[in-house]
Amino acid sequence: MTALILLGHGSHLNGNSSAPVFALARQLRDAAAFEEVRTGFWKEEPSFARVLDGCEAREVVVVPVFISNGYFTNTVIPREMRLDGPVTMRDGQRIICTAPIGADASLAGVIVERALEAGATEADGIAVLGHGTRRDSESEKNVYAMTERVRATNRFAQVEAVFLDQEPGMLGMLDILSTPTVVVVPFFIADGWHVGQTIPSDLALDGAETRRDGRVVRYAAPVGTHPSVGTVVRKLAAEAAL
Amino acid sequence: MTARFTGELELFDEWSIGVRRAGRAVELGSIDALAEFVRTDDRGRYRPLSGARTMPGGWFYGARDGEDREAAIEAVYPLATVHSRQFKQGTLRVASLDEVLSRQSGRYENTSKLTAAGRDRARRLVCGECVRTPVWDQERVREPDTVSPGLIPCPEPCSVLVAFCREAALWEPEPPAASEPDSAVPWAAFEEPGNELRERYLMEGPLPHD
Repeated sequence: MTALILLGHGSHLNGNSSAPVFALARQLRDAAAFEEVRTGFWKEEPSFARVLDGCEAREVVVVPVFISNGYFTNTVIPREMRLDGPVTMRDGQRIICTAPIGADASLAGVIVERALEAGATEADGIAVLGHGTRRDSESEKNVYAMTERVRATNRFAQVEAVFLDQEPGMLGMLDILSTPTVVVVPFFIADGWHVGQTIPSDLALDGAETRRDGRVVRYAAPVGTHPSVGTVVRKLAAEAAL
Repeated sequence: MTARFTGELELFDEWSIGVRRAGRAVELGSIDALAEFVRTDDRGRYRPLSGARTMPGGWFYGARDGEDREAAIEAVYPLATVHSRQFKQGTLRVASLDEVLSRQSGRYENTSKLTAAGRDRARRLVCGECVRTPVWDQERVREPDTVSPGLIPCPEPCSVLVAFCREAALWEPEPPAASEPDSAVPWAAFEEPGNELRERYLMEGPLPHD
């Protein structure tokens, strides 16, 4: 049997930030597919550096519950967990670190579902809202790749990527998208500080639906809290164990 | 029977744990409910540091057996029983504050510039809020056979201390004036005037030169 370690960002300020990781862990424990399921965080406990303490499974699969490859998956997680690469052998333990869940192509389908839940129709535009960072260009690639996959479904009139922390910024989304109704789908893991507070505040949203200058902005739930994310974790873990 | 404690947790009856408080005795029915309950303090404020001495009171969890009670303690203080066992066995891997700060990057890269006096003040203030014993602190470390039974060893500076060191390093060249502490400011919002730990650090005045 294999131990599964789910890694999340966590937060010092917002207790909801880690909720999707805890929910995923509960879901996967209930499914009893792994010898044990642990959680580790950058800003909560146990830390990335300590999450393997006391884990005695011979094989460990580490799944980053992050939205893209980038600074955390390339720098922070390997450094803190003392990983040698995708596979690390240490003290008789085989530790396999998978790609982050957000890089899985199936999440494009979750973006579509989140948009539809928010009331999107084929006449609407979809703003796939990523965090973005000036620190690591890897981060934006995944957002653009997902945007392209959603666009390729031909379910919506227009699909564009916008970002919280880089260009093209989310504040310009109504200029980028020309449809009367724009559905914003946060390509984020958690309904935490950004999704729950900073984004609605910065976009001056009134709630699930905002009317402004004759146009409508709908705000969808984040991708990472969708129930199908558990399936993605199991798939990544199964592929890693091969 | 003598009461036994692990951190702020009282271990009582055969397998129960809890924090007693007159007038309230909420029974928590599962480990998940327990883990959720201790994430906020008595005033509903988020507790990002499990060991912070802000544990809500007036609750108990009746564990089925020793294994269930250990799981409950782990839900309250992650890895406490693991680290305690490893410390007693002499197998606990320890990392110092210098080591942890020197490996930081990105937002926390500046922590390596914090002076020894700044590190010492940050450690004293942040770790003073926590029930865990920093066995990574070489000046204060004790031998395993001299520690109290309920001690929870902390093997490595946590992310809260690192985040505080970031702010302390930013304050060092030109310390801002201290503000009045404001309990409405989140516990770990160290950059925000009014944060209680921030103000205690700044109120101590200039650091001695290294």
